[in-house]
Amino acid sequence: MTVPTGVAAATAAAPAPPRRSRGRRDRAGYLFLLPWFVGMLFTVIPFFASLYLAFTDYDLLTAPRWIGLENFREMLGDARLRQSLQVTFVYTFVSVPLSLAAALLVAMVLHRGIRGLPVYRAVFYLPSLLGGSVAVVLLWRYIFGAEGIVNDFLGWFGVRGPAWTTDPDHALTTLIILHVWTFGSPMVIFLAGLRQIPVAYYEAAAVDGASRFRQFRSITIPLLSPIIFFNLVQSLIASFQTFTQGFVLSGGTGGPAESTLFYNVYLYLRGFTQFDMGYASAMAWVLLVLIAVLTAINFLAARYWVFYDN
Amino acid sequence: MPPDTHTAVLGRRAALKATGLAGLALGLSACGRGFGGGDDADQGSVTLNMVWWGDAKRAQKTQAALDLFQRKHPGVTVRVEYQDSAPYKDKLATRFAAGDPPDLMAMRVDSLREYADRGSLLDLGAHSGALDLTGLSESARTLATVGDKTFGVPSGLNSIGFVVNRTLTDRYGVQVPNGDTWSWEDLAGFARQVTAKSGRKVYGTGFEPQTMANLLVFSRQRGEDFFTVDGALGVSEGTVTAWFEMVQRMRDEGGFPPAGFFEESGASAAQSYLAKGTLASQIIPTNNFLSYNEAAGGNLALLRIPGEVQGRRRGQSIDTPALWSIASASKHRDEALKLLDFLVNDAEAAKATGTTRGVPANQRIAETVKPTLEPDDQTATEYLIGLQGEQLPRSYTYPPGGSAIAASLETIATEVEFKRRSAAEGARAFVAEARKALTK
Repeated sequence: MTVPTGVAAATAAAPAPPRRSRGRRDRAGYLFLLPWFVGMLFTVIPFFASLYLAFTDYDLLTAPRWIGLENFREMLGDARLRQSLQVTFVYTFVSVPLSLAAALLVAMVLHRGIRGLPVYRAVFYLPSLLGGSVAVVLLWRYIFGAEGIVNDFLGWFGVRGPAWTTDPDHALTTLIILHVWTFGSPMVIFLAGLRQIPVAYYEAAAVDGASRFRQFRSITIPLLSPIIFFNLVQSLIASFQTFTQGFVLSGGTGGPAESTLFYNVYLYLRGFTQFDMGYASAMAWVLLVLIAVLTAINFLAARYWVFYDN
Repeated sequence: MPPDTHTAVLGRRAALKATGLAGLALGLSACGRGFGGGDDADQGSVTLNMVWWGDAKRAQKTQAALDLFQRKHPGVTVRVEYQDSAPYKDKLATRFAAGDPPDLMAMRVDSLREYADRGSLLDLGAHSGALDLTGLSESARTLATVGDKTFGVPSGLNSIGFVVNRTLTDRYGVQVPNGDTWSWEDLAGFARQVTAKSGRKVYGTGFEPQTMANLLVFSRQRGEDFFTVDGALGVSEGTVTAWFEMVQRMRDEGGFPPAGFFEESGASAAQSYLAKGTLASQIIPTNNFLSYNEAAGGNLALLRIPGEVQGRRRGQSIDTPALWSIASASKHRDEALKLLDFLVNDAEAAKATGTTRGVPANQRIAETVKPTLEPDDQTATEYLIGLQGEQLPRSYTYPPGGSAIAASLETIATEVEFKRRSAAEGARAFVAEARKALTK
């Protein structure tokens, strides 16, 4: 529905409503929006407070002290910060493509029509509701523990599994597997996207003798590309903000040996355990800029591969 | 668009209702405020806010002591908040940042100076009229001393001790060494035997080499203070290397579990490897002896840390799981001091709280309540009373930067454990990083 504006609205409505009811209607609208405005205050104030704190030395207990760009300068030489960036980038660039591929694969299988589809949809979607929760990460730690289910299973085949969560070489892999497992929400969106593709295209292609793979490459992928793009942007942003998984798996340390020191886990450690809130605020702003830049690159690149049907 | 007028009417009605409700809510909250603070002050009644970390059992026992206090002081109400130790730290920092510190709080030993150095805590020594600390031993009193000021009182005393599961050693026929005189070599030999005789089903011993409290004891035995009196780093590369190498050697011999064995989950006694029967001995805080013994089947022996006789000097110290501190900004300083004095010096209070926070800091009170304790708590109490009577090196408060040091010890010890660095390389990196953290 379109919003009637100005003269058009006045002439279109046959029994013209009294003029002042419009003003009243607006007031009612604003009144309903009031909670949102109040809520925004709780976002806007901390937003600007943290921008200010990013330029201060603030230990939570005494008043912040203005130090200009000192926090940002310290970041340049901070080895733990570099480590946290590396962990976050590796995690993102491995797990996001994998989880999107898994989501698309499962969505296509479900799209083919399976009996009990709603059940499968729910089963595959469930993990993404739970994925970031403390309980699931703890469960994950149990499953992948040195004497957990995974290693028991590997033991049947005579394979001695590693200490998945406590070996610095494997802890991040374990979290990537957890992330891929929670492909449910992109999957549901893919499923909706697949429904939009007219069956006639596939029928025509089949008549022309195109193979299943050819159909996938020439029909599904191009027509689904806006959806893929949407999922990609969403997943990237979410992945850069990963906190709970790394925090819970390592007991709040980013360990073993900093192998799960996500950017946000390090930010938390600096702010709350090392009383360095100024530095933590500066880190938060760097993350914001980083995500903005990556998203912008994504949108620029999208021009070359995202295909809009209209 | 015909439905428009309809929705507008509905919207308006709902909006009116909403404003009505909002107005009502505002009115109610205004009333609440009026009844609260204002009237209280007139009657001279005070509400103290006391926060600490711990579990339900500790809560129950703490509340019992607070009930006694409130009966004696009808004008004072104590409002308690508690949670798990990890969120506690964040919450406390946030409350101070928000200008709303609690009156009386449990304070982590490694956070004490982060708060005290910034003037956030009350100097208790300046209020000796209200708070009597003369019943505390020298080693207990100095746990919260910075320079000539005292910023806390131990909420109870503990130490670290070595526990051995005698059910397992009996089963495999391994003799438990003399816990008063054993050396680290004896520990290694003992551990080797248990692992071998159990067919590798049980590891002889295990503890986390990245736990600072363990390394602290080892440093003292080698004549070094991990942190010196001036808050500098006293531990040498040689000591850290020796520590890593010792654990590595026990691991190579099989007495100590393989790399990656310890997971940070299972912090409670019931989830411990000792309770599961996969470890025959480990280091524990002595105030947890009761719960470990219960979880492990009731046949634990409590020994001293190895190397106490052979070392250059004693390594063990009197410590505390937590300190009680008062915020310098507390509006009810006198009442908070009164409550703290009650918790430290009242025998009934000590009986009510038991040893969930360790042995009472006041020695006389500790002796008084000892016979009323459960047998396991008596064992731990005797251990502590014994230690306090001995000449032990003083334990210095952690300097600011201590938490960053704990983090790098954790990282480096894990790297050594997985042989990404040698013991000597790890030690060099650790000392360099720790010095850097302290000069920040």
